[in-house]
Amino acid sequence: MPHLPPRKVGIVACSGEEMAEGTVTRLAALKVLEELRPTMTVTICLPLFLAGGEGDRAFARFYPTIAVDGCARRCAARATELYSHKPAVSIVLDDVLAERGLQRPQGLRRLTPESLPVVDALAEVIAGEVDRLMAARWSRSEGRLLDTEESEPATTGSTGCACSSGIPISRVRVNGRTVAIMALEPILEMAYNQGLRASPNDHATASLPPAIMDAVRLYNAIPSEDDALYTEAVQVAWQHFCAAKEQNHG
Amino acid sequence: MSIVIVPCSGIGKTYGTVTREAAYRVVEELCPGETEIVPLSLLVLGDPEAQARVRNNTAVITLDGCKLACATVNVGQAGGTVTRAFTVLDCYRRHKDMKPQGIAELNAGGLALAQALAAEVAQAVAEIEKAEAS
Repeated sequence: MPHLPPRKVGIVACSGEEMAEGTVTRLAALKVLEELRPTMTVTICLPLFLAGGEGDRAFARFYPTIAVDGCARRCAARATELYSHKPAVSIVLDDVLAERGLQRPQGLRRLTPESLPVVDALAEVIAGEVDRLMAARWSRSEGRLLDTEESEPATTGSTGCACSSGIPISRVRVNGRTVAIMALEPILEMAYNQGLRASPNDHATASLPPAIMDAVRLYNAIPSEDDALYTEAVQVAWQHFCAAKEQNHG
Repeated sequence: MSIVIVPCSGIGKTYGTVTREAAYRVVEELCPGETEIVPLSLLVLGDPEAQARVRNNTAVITLDGCKLACATVNVGQAGGTVTRAFTVLDCYRRHKDMKPQGIAELNAGGLALAQALAAEVAQAVAEIEKAEAS
Protein backbone atom coordinates (compact mmCIF):
# COMPACT_ATOMS: atom_id res chain seq x y z
CA MET A 1 0.00 0.00 0.00
CA PRO A 2 1.27 3.54 -0.67
CA HIS A 3 2.40 5.45 2.38
CA LEU A 4 -0.29 7.93 3.41
CA PRO A 5 -0.55 10.02 6.60
CA PRO A 6 -1.54 8.20 9.82
CA ARG A 7 -5.20 7.46 10.15
CA LYS A 8 -7.33 9.88 12.07
CA VAL A 9 -11.05 10.27 12.44
CA GLY A 10 -12.72 13.26 10.80
CA ILE A 11 -15.52 14.99 12.68
CA VAL A 12 -18.13 16.85 10.64
CA ALA A 13 -20.43 18.93 12.82
CA CYS A 14 -23.55 20.52 11.37
CA SER A 15 -22.86 23.68 13.37
CA GLY A 16 -26.28 25.06 12.39
CA GLU A 17 -26.36 28.67 13.55
CA GLU A 18 -30.13 28.86 13.68
CA MET A 19 -30.64 26.45 16.53
CA ALA A 20 -29.14 25.65 19.94
CA GLU A 21 -28.62 22.07 18.82
CA GLY A 22 -26.21 23.30 16.14
CA THR A 23 -24.19 25.15 18.75
CA VAL A 24 -24.09 21.97 20.84
CA THR A 25 -22.69 19.95 17.92
CA ARG A 26 -19.99 22.55 17.32
CA LEU A 27 -18.93 22.79 20.97
CA ALA A 28 -19.01 19.01 21.43
CA ALA A 29 -16.88 18.49 18.33
CA LEU A 30 -14.39 21.07 19.57
CA LYS A 31 -14.27 19.41 22.99
CA VAL A 32 -13.32 16.11 21.34
CA LEU A 33 -10.80 17.80 19.06
CA GLU A 34 -9.14 19.90 21.74
CA GLU A 35 -9.55 17.95 24.96
CA LEU A 36 -10.79 14.38 24.71
CA ARG A 37 -9.07 12.94 21.62
CA PRO A 38 -6.72 15.64 20.29
CA THR A 39 -4.23 13.31 18.57
CA MET A 40 -6.83 11.11 16.93
CA THR A 41 -9.19 13.59 15.32
CA VAL A 42 -9.43 16.40 12.80
CA THR A 43 -12.35 18.63 11.98
CA ILE A 44 -13.81 18.56 8.49
CA CYS A 45 -15.31 21.81 7.32
CA LEU A 46 -18.76 21.09 5.92
CA PRO A 47 -19.06 24.25 3.75
CA LEU A 48 -15.71 23.45 2.15
CA PHE A 49 -17.20 20.37 0.50
CA LEU A 50 -19.09 22.68 -1.83
CA ALA A 51 -16.55 25.45 -1.96
CA GLY A 52 -13.95 23.13 -3.42
CA GLY A 53 -12.08 21.93 -0.35
CA GLU A 54 -10.14 19.11 -1.99
CA GLY A 55 -8.31 18.32 1.23
CA ASP A 56 -11.56 17.81 3.10
CA ARG A 57 -13.08 15.71 0.34
CA ALA A 58 -9.95 13.60 0.04
CA PHE A 59 -9.80 13.06 3.77
CA ALA A 60 -13.39 11.86 3.94
CA ARG A 61 -12.74 9.47 1.04
CA PHE A 62 -9.77 7.83 2.72
CA TYR A 63 -10.48 7.97 6.41
CA PRO A 64 -13.48 7.33 8.66
CA THR A 65 -15.68 10.26 9.50
CA ILE A 66 -18.25 10.91 12.20
CA ALA A 67 -21.13 13.17 11.22
CA VAL A 68 -22.67 15.03 14.16
CA ASP A 69 -26.07 16.58 13.50
CA GLY A 70 -28.30 18.77 15.59
CA CYS A 71 -31.56 17.74 13.98
CA ALA A 72 -33.21 15.07 11.88
CA ARG A 73 -32.38 16.90 8.65
CA ARG A 74 -28.88 15.47 9.14
CA CYS A 75 -27.10 18.06 6.99
CA ALA A 76 -23.63 16.91 8.05
CA ALA A 77 -24.23 13.22 7.34
CA ARG A 78 -26.05 13.77 4.08
CA ALA A 79 -23.66 16.39 2.70
CA THR A 80 -20.63 14.27 3.59
CA GLU A 81 -22.11 11.34 1.71
CA LEU A 82 -23.16 13.56 -1.18
CA TYR A 83 -19.80 15.19 -1.74
CA SER A 84 -17.32 12.64 -0.48
CA HIS A 85 -18.12 9.35 1.18
CA LYS A 86 -20.67 7.86 3.52
CA PRO A 87 -19.73 8.68 7.14
CA ALA A 88 -18.64 5.72 9.23
CA VAL A 89 -20.87 6.97 12.03
CA SER A 90 -23.84 9.33 12.05
CA ILE A 91 -24.87 10.81 15.40
CA VAL A 92 -28.02 12.87 15.81
CA LEU A 93 -28.32 14.91 18.99
CA ASP A 94 -31.98 13.96 19.47
CA ASP A 95 -30.94 10.33 19.97
CA VAL A 96 -28.41 11.28 22.63
CA LEU A 97 -30.99 13.44 24.42
CA ALA A 98 -33.47 10.58 24.42
CA GLU A 99 -30.97 7.93 25.51
CA ARG A 100 -29.63 10.00 28.40
CA GLY A 101 -32.87 11.69 29.42
CA LEU A 102 -31.45 15.17 28.88
CA GLN A 103 -33.41 18.38 28.34
CA ARG A 104 -33.32 20.04 24.94
CA PRO A 105 -30.55 22.71 24.91
CA GLN A 106 -31.38 26.39 24.98
CA GLY A 107 -29.50 29.41 23.64
CA LEU A 108 -27.89 30.17 20.30
CA ARG A 109 -24.82 32.32 20.62
CA ARG A 110 -24.42 31.34 24.27
CA LEU A 111 -25.88 28.12 25.59
CA THR A 112 -27.59 28.37 28.94
CA PRO A 113 -25.62 26.84 31.85
CA GLU A 114 -28.26 24.11 32.08
CA SER A 115 -27.45 23.10 28.50
CA LEU A 116 -23.74 22.52 29.05
CA PRO A 117 -24.16 18.89 30.23
CA VAL A 118 -25.63 18.19 26.79
CA VAL A 119 -22.32 19.27 25.22
CA ASP A 120 -20.43 16.97 27.58
CA ALA A 121 -22.75 14.04 26.86
CA LEU A 122 -22.50 14.46 23.09
CA ALA A 123 -18.70 14.84 23.27
CA GLU A 124 -18.56 11.61 25.29
CA VAL A 125 -20.55 9.76 22.63
CA ILE A 126 -18.33 11.13 19.85
CA ALA A 127 -15.15 10.18 21.74
CA GLY A 128 -16.48 6.66 22.22
CA GLU A 129 -17.06 6.32 18.49
CA VAL A 130 -13.57 7.71 17.79
CA ASP A 131 -12.10 4.98 20.01
CA ARG A 132 -14.13 2.31 18.26
CA LEU A 133 -13.08 3.48 14.79
CA MET A 134 -9.43 3.79 15.74
CA ALA A 135 -9.41 0.30 17.19
CA ALA A 136 -10.88 -1.27 14.08
CA ARG A 137 -9.37 -2.03 10.70
CA TRP A 138 -10.47 0.43 8.05
CA SER A 139 -10.62 -0.12 4.30
CA ARG A 140 -9.52 3.04 2.51
CA SER A 141 -10.66 1.69 -0.83
CA GLU A 142 -14.13 0.70 0.36
CA GLY A 143 -14.54 3.38 3.00
CA ARG A 144 -15.84 1.05 5.68
CA LEU A 145 -14.79 -0.92 8.71
CA LEU A 146 -13.33 -4.30 7.81
CA ASP A 147 -13.79 -5.85 11.24
CA THR A 148 -13.31 -5.03 14.90
CA GLU A 149 -9.83 -6.51 15.19
CA GLU A 150 -7.69 -4.08 17.13
CA SER A 151 -4.89 -2.27 15.38
CA GLU A 152 -2.30 0.23 16.53
CA PRO A 153 -3.87 3.69 16.88
CA ALA A 154 -2.15 6.71 15.39
CA THR A 155 -0.47 8.77 18.08
CA THR A 156 1.38 11.39 16.10
CA GLY A 157 0.36 14.71 14.61
CA SER A 158 -1.81 17.45 16.01
CA THR A 159 -5.40 18.51 16.11
CA GLY A 160 -6.46 20.50 13.11
CA CYS A 161 -8.47 20.73 9.96
CA ALA A 162 -8.75 18.00 7.37
CA CYS A 163 -7.78 20.56 4.74
CA SER A 164 -4.25 20.08 6.01
CA SER A 165 -4.58 16.33 6.44
CA GLY A 166 -1.69 15.72 4.08
CA ILE A 167 -3.37 13.49 1.52
CA PRO A 168 -1.54 14.58 -1.62
CA ILE A 169 -3.44 15.57 -4.74
CA SER A 170 -1.40 15.79 -7.95
CA ARG A 171 -2.41 17.70 -11.05
CA VAL A 172 -1.25 16.51 -14.43
CA ARG A 173 -1.93 18.38 -17.64
CA VAL A 174 -2.72 16.21 -20.66
CA ASN A 175 -4.13 17.28 -24.02
CA GLY A 176 -5.14 20.65 -22.66
CA ARG A 177 -6.94 19.18 -19.66
CA THR A 178 -5.79 19.14 -16.06
CA VAL A 179 -6.40 15.88 -14.25
CA ALA A 180 -6.36 15.82 -10.43
CA ILE A 181 -5.28 12.48 -9.00
CA MET A 182 -5.33 11.67 -5.32
CA ALA A 183 -2.40 9.88 -3.69
CA LEU A 184 -0.48 9.71 -6.98
CA GLU A 185 2.91 10.60 -5.49
CA PRO A 186 2.90 7.88 -2.82
CA ILE A 187 1.64 5.38 -5.41
CA LEU A 188 4.53 6.18 -7.75
CA GLU A 189 6.95 6.11 -4.84
CA MET A 190 5.68 2.67 -3.86
CA ALA A 191 6.06 1.39 -7.43
CA TYR A 192 9.56 2.81 -7.71
CA ASN A 193 10.58 1.24 -4.41
CA GLN A 194 9.27 -2.08 -5.71
CA GLY A 195 11.79 -1.87 -8.53
CA LEU A 196 9.46 -0.77 -11.33
CA ARG A 197 10.89 1.72 -13.81
CA ALA A 198 9.66 3.75 -16.78
CA SER A 199 11.12 2.81 -20.13
CA PRO A 200 13.34 5.66 -21.33
CA ASN A 201 12.12 7.49 -24.41
CA ASP A 202 8.93 5.46 -24.39
CA HIS A 203 5.75 7.46 -23.90
CA ALA A 204 3.41 4.70 -25.00
CA THR A 205 0.91 3.86 -22.28
CA ALA A 206 1.77 0.20 -22.78
CA SER A 207 4.94 0.84 -20.79
CA LEU A 208 3.01 1.87 -17.71
CA PRO A 209 3.11 -0.97 -15.21
CA PRO A 210 -0.50 -2.17 -14.72
CA ALA A 211 0.00 -2.22 -10.94
CA ILE A 212 0.27 1.56 -10.95
CA MET A 213 -3.07 2.13 -12.67
CA ASP A 214 -4.64 -0.52 -10.43
CA ALA A 215 -3.53 1.46 -7.38
CA VAL A 216 -4.66 4.76 -8.91
CA ARG A 217 -8.11 3.30 -9.58
CA LEU A 218 -8.27 2.13 -6.00
CA TYR A 219 -7.93 5.66 -4.70
CA ASN A 220 -9.72 7.58 -7.44
CA ALA A 221 -13.14 7.23 -8.98
CA ILE A 222 -12.27 7.41 -12.68
CA PRO A 223 -15.19 7.89 -15.07
CA SER A 224 -15.05 5.22 -17.78
CA GLU A 225 -15.05 7.85 -20.52
CA ASP A 226 -11.94 9.43 -18.97
CA ASP A 227 -9.99 6.23 -18.43
CA ALA A 228 -7.65 6.80 -21.36
CA LEU A 229 -7.03 10.39 -20.29
CA TYR A 230 -6.18 9.33 -16.72
CA THR A 231 -3.94 6.54 -17.98
CA GLU A 232 -2.04 8.96 -20.15
CA ALA A 233 -1.78 11.44 -17.28
CA VAL A 234 -0.40 8.78 -14.97
CA GLN A 235 2.01 7.67 -17.69
CA VAL A 236 3.33 11.23 -18.03
CA ALA A 237 3.65 11.58 -14.26
CA TRP A 238 5.41 8.20 -14.04
CA GLN A 239 7.93 9.20 -16.72
CA HIS A 240 8.68 12.47 -14.93
CA PHE A 241 8.83 10.77 -11.55
CA CYS A 242 11.35 8.18 -12.72
CA ALA A 243 13.41 10.76 -14.58
CA ALA A 244 13.63 12.92 -11.47
CA LYS A 245 14.66 9.92 -9.39
CA GLU A 246 17.36 8.94 -11.83
CA GLN A 247 18.63 12.51 -11.97
CA ASN A 248 18.80 12.67 -8.17
CA HIS A 249 20.71 9.41 -8.07
CA GLY A 250 23.15 10.76 -10.63
CA MET B 1 -38.24 40.87 3.91
CA SER B 2 -35.20 40.50 6.10
CA ILE B 3 -31.66 40.88 4.88
CA VAL B 4 -29.95 37.50 5.02
CA ILE B 5 -26.65 37.13 6.86
CA VAL B 6 -24.53 34.05 6.09
CA PRO B 7 -21.42 33.51 8.26
CA CYS B 8 -18.72 31.09 7.21
CA SER B 9 -19.60 28.37 9.73
CA GLY B 10 -16.08 26.94 10.02
CA ILE B 11 -15.42 25.37 13.39
CA GLY B 12 -11.68 24.71 13.30
CA LYS B 13 -10.24 28.19 13.14
CA THR B 14 -10.53 31.43 15.07
CA TYR B 15 -11.65 33.51 12.11
CA GLY B 16 -14.69 31.29 11.61
CA THR B 17 -15.71 31.91 15.19
CA VAL B 18 -15.32 35.66 14.64
CA THR B 19 -17.71 35.59 11.67
CA ARG B 20 -20.30 33.63 13.65
CA GLU B 21 -20.05 35.95 16.64
CA ALA B 22 -20.34 39.00 14.37
CA ALA B 23 -23.39 37.53 12.64
CA TYR B 24 -25.13 36.89 15.95
CA ARG B 25 -24.36 40.44 17.09
CA VAL B 26 -25.89 41.87 13.94
CA VAL B 27 -29.02 39.74 14.08
CA GLU B 28 -29.59 39.86 17.84
CA GLU B 29 -28.33 43.30 18.84
CA LEU B 30 -27.60 45.73 16.01
CA CYS B 31 -30.28 44.96 13.43
CA PRO B 32 -32.90 42.75 15.10
CA GLY B 33 -36.00 42.26 12.98
CA GLU B 34 -34.18 43.51 9.87
CA THR B 35 -31.76 40.61 9.47
CA GLU B 36 -31.74 36.83 9.78
CA ILE B 37 -29.07 34.15 9.72
CA VAL B 38 -29.22 31.36 7.15
CA PRO B 39 -27.03 28.43 8.25
CA LEU B 40 -24.43 27.46 5.71
CA SER B 41 -24.89 23.75 6.44
CA LEU B 42 -28.40 23.92 4.98
CA LEU B 43 -27.13 25.61 1.83
CA VAL B 44 -24.38 23.02 1.45
CA LEU B 45 -26.97 20.28 1.55
CA GLY B 46 -29.19 22.07 -0.92
CA ASP B 47 -32.11 22.55 1.46
CA PRO B 48 -34.89 24.07 -0.70
CA GLU B 49 -36.15 26.39 2.03
CA ALA B 50 -32.69 27.76 2.77
CA GLN B 51 -32.01 28.19 -0.94
CA ALA B 52 -35.26 30.07 -1.33
CA ARG B 53 -34.28 32.40 1.50
CA VAL B 54 -31.04 33.44 -0.23
CA ARG B 55 -32.72 33.69 -3.62
CA ASN B 56 -35.84 35.59 -2.64
CA ASN B 57 -34.72 37.94 0.10
CA THR B 58 -33.93 41.54 -0.55
CA ALA B 59 -30.22 41.19 0.02
CA VAL B 60 -27.59 38.70 1.14
CA ILE B 61 -24.51 39.61 3.17
CA THR B 62 -21.75 37.04 3.57
CA LEU B 63 -19.09 36.92 6.28
CA ASP B 64 -16.07 34.80 5.40
CA GLY B 65 -13.26 33.67 7.62
CA CYS B 66 -10.65 32.87 4.98
CA LYS B 67 -9.78 33.25 1.32
CA LEU B 68 -11.73 30.12 0.38
CA ALA B 69 -14.84 32.24 0.96
CA CYS B 70 -17.17 29.33 1.70
CA ALA B 71 -20.11 31.56 2.57
CA THR B 72 -19.87 33.59 -0.63
CA VAL B 73 -19.25 30.54 -2.80
CA ASN B 74 -22.08 28.53 -1.28
CA VAL B 75 -24.59 31.38 -1.62
CA GLY B 76 -23.66 31.61 -5.31
CA GLN B 77 -24.00 27.84 -5.72
CA ALA B 78 -27.44 28.05 -4.13
CA GLY B 79 -28.55 30.56 -6.75
CA GLY B 80 -28.35 33.63 -4.55
CA THR B 81 -26.67 36.93 -5.28
CA VAL B 82 -24.28 38.31 -2.71
CA THR B 83 -25.01 41.97 -2.10
CA ARG B 84 -22.03 42.59 0.19
CA ALA B 85 -19.19 40.25 1.06
CA PHE B 86 -17.10 40.78 4.18
CA THR B 87 -13.98 38.94 5.31
CA VAL B 88 -12.51 38.85 8.77
CA LEU B 89 -9.01 39.33 7.38
CA ASP B 90 -9.94 42.62 5.74
CA CYS B 91 -11.52 43.78 8.98
CA TYR B 92 -8.46 42.68 10.96
CA ARG B 93 -6.21 44.69 8.63
CA ARG B 94 -8.21 47.76 9.64
CA HIS B 95 -8.00 46.84 13.33
CA LYS B 96 -4.57 45.40 13.91
CA ASP B 97 -4.88 45.94 17.65
CA MET B 98 -7.69 43.36 17.83
CA LYS B 99 -5.84 40.07 17.52
CA PRO B 100 -8.31 37.20 17.71
CA GLN B 101 -7.49 33.98 19.53
CA GLY B 102 -9.52 31.03 20.71
CA ILE B 103 -12.07 28.91 18.88
CA ALA B 104 -14.73 27.73 21.32
CA GLU B 105 -14.31 30.97 23.27
CA LEU B 106 -12.85 34.08 21.70
CA ASN B 107 -10.37 36.23 23.61
CA ALA B 108 -10.97 39.94 24.18
CA GLY B 109 -9.31 40.78 20.86
CA GLY B 110 -11.55 38.32 19.02
CA LEU B 111 -14.70 39.70 20.63
CA ALA B 112 -13.62 43.24 19.80
CA LEU B 113 -12.92 42.24 16.20
CA ALA B 114 -16.33 40.55 15.97
CA GLN B 115 -17.92 43.75 17.26
CA ALA B 116 -15.99 45.81 14.67
CA LEU B 117 -17.07 43.45 11.89
CA ALA B 118 -20.65 43.50 13.14
CA ALA B 119 -20.62 47.31 13.07
CA GLU B 120 -19.41 47.26 9.44
CA VAL B 121 -22.17 44.80 8.53
CA ALA B 122 -24.78 46.90 10.34
CA GLN B 123 -23.61 49.90 8.35
CA ALA B 124 -24.04 47.88 5.15
CA VAL B 125 -27.53 46.86 6.25
CA ALA B 126 -28.43 50.53 6.71
CA GLU B 127 -27.03 51.41 3.29
CA ILE B 128 -28.91 48.61 1.59
CA GLU B 129 -32.16 49.57 3.27
CA LYS B 130 -31.66 53.19 2.32
CA ALA B 131 -31.00 52.24 -1.30
CA GLU B 132 -34.08 50.03 -1.39
CA ALA B 133 -36.25 52.76 0.10
CA SER B 134 -35.19 55.39 -2.44
